[in-house]
Amino acid sequence: MTKTFLRSTVAILAVLILLSAAWAARVGEAAPEFTATDTNGQVHKLSDYHGKFVVLEWSNRGCPYTQKHYNSGNMQRLQREWTGRGVIWLTVISSAPGKQGYVTASEENAYLKQVNAAPTAVLLDPTGALGHLYDAKTTPHIFIINPQGTLIYNGAIDDRPTTDLADVNGAKNYVSAALDEAMSGKPVSVPTSRPYGCSVKYPD
Amino acid sequence: MVVSFRRKIGLLAPCVILIFAARLSAQPPANSHARIELISEQNLAPPAKPLWVGLLFQLDAGWHIYWQNPGDSGEPPTVQWQLPSGFTAGPIRWPQPIRLGGGTVIDYGYEGQVLLMAPIEAASKGHATSIPSLSADVKYIVCRELCIPGKVHLTLASPPHGDWGQWRALFEQTRLQLPKPAPPGWKVSAESNKSHFILSVRGAKQVRSASFFPLEASQIDNSSPQGFVSNRTGFQLMLKKSDQLTKPVSTVRGLIIVGPGRAFEVAAPVVSR
Repeated sequence: MTKTFLRSTVAILAVLILLSAAWAARVGEAAPEFTATDTNGQVHKLSDYHGKFVVLEWSNRGCPYTQKHYNSGNMQRLQREWTGRGVIWLTVISSAPGKQGYVTASEENAYLKQVNAAPTAVLLDPTGALGHLYDAKTTPHIFIINPQGTLIYNGAIDDRPTTDLADVNGAKNYVSAALDEAMSGKPVSVPTSRPYGCSVKYPD
Repeated sequence: MVVSFRRKIGLLAPCVILIFAARLSAQPPANSHARIELISEQNLAPPAKPLWVGLLFQLDAGWHIYWQNPGDSGEPPTVQWQLPSGFTAGPIRWPQPIRLGGGTVIDYGYEGQVLLMAPIEAASKGHATSIPSLSADVKYIVCRELCIPGKVHLTLASPPHGDWGQWRALFEQTRLQLPKPAPPGWKVSAESNKSHFILSVRGAKQVRSASFFPLEASQIDNSSPQGFVSNRTGFQLMLKKSDQLTKPVSTVRGLIIVGPGRAFEVAAPVVSR
């Protein structure tokens, strides 16, 4: 009896902690731990990457803001540059089944090949659990976690909130700026910005 | 009564200041889910007053465009005017928006039909002049579940015969939907704690419900419920801070909407506790 009571109390507490998760992805605080499966069936935990920089990039290939960065080659360039420098780059797809942008693992793998993308992995998040944990709003929306597990950036990919390919050149890229600064031991000068893009297509 | 008064004005007006509306027929891009026209309230630039023109968006059911602060996603339409020398365009006057979306992603914008008005000013304000030749490059994004960006070049043309009255009424209706300065009796301030701004309006006694639409991005969390409390002197709104807000702000700016046609623009000085 007491055991059941204790168990349900623990369960309720766990739910409460999950519900308060929107609070958890704040710059300067520990990034919330997660477990998610990629398009090759591999399981990734944030804590697996302790000691490395981690970029989370929310994506939706049908969204014109995401397309701006893939059709221009900008996203692939960033993925190659930063994974080449030891960064773990995790693309996340939180579109729910039946919603715009939902893809199966094999569809996504074919697409990655087609656009020559180079993230470390693409995490499939059809329940939206990871998206809600970080309170991802848009595609793209970028989070950067430092080697100590602290969130150091939450916001847009750059400072041109448009769908124009022409705006990629000349934009200030917040991801590169934050990683450059953090890797040379400086504080991130723009730690947050308004993420811009299409809304993440969470389940209803 | 109102209608017949308007009709009389409508008949008299052409004799006095020649009020007509000019209209243009834009070629809407196929499958854009938005038809956009550049329309004018009058066909003569009135003396000593701006000429009001507007971008009239007509959206397919379920599709929307965005307010000046789009909220969590999207972006507002932008316009680049081409005007004859001696004319300048003022900023768009944004009518009160609605909340769009659901769950943890909330946007601000418009569905159905919306007129985005802007004043065109002439350098010489002596007398009524013929309508300047105007065109506009408009960029916008229209979304339902999917988002489609659009780009259109619009030119102000003459209205079809007898069509002008229709537009004038639309300008008048839209004016009623523009935010107004806060009533003179309102005293607005915002208290800041770790997680929330508590927006207080004193001197607003008859307000039963209110919602806040932020003018600045990344000040408040758009999707959090806004707790409303009324008391003897006015009311308070609890506004959760945005995750993107990392520096203290001195002013919380936005609209307090207390009903249709009752949107008030406020700039609440922030007091920390």
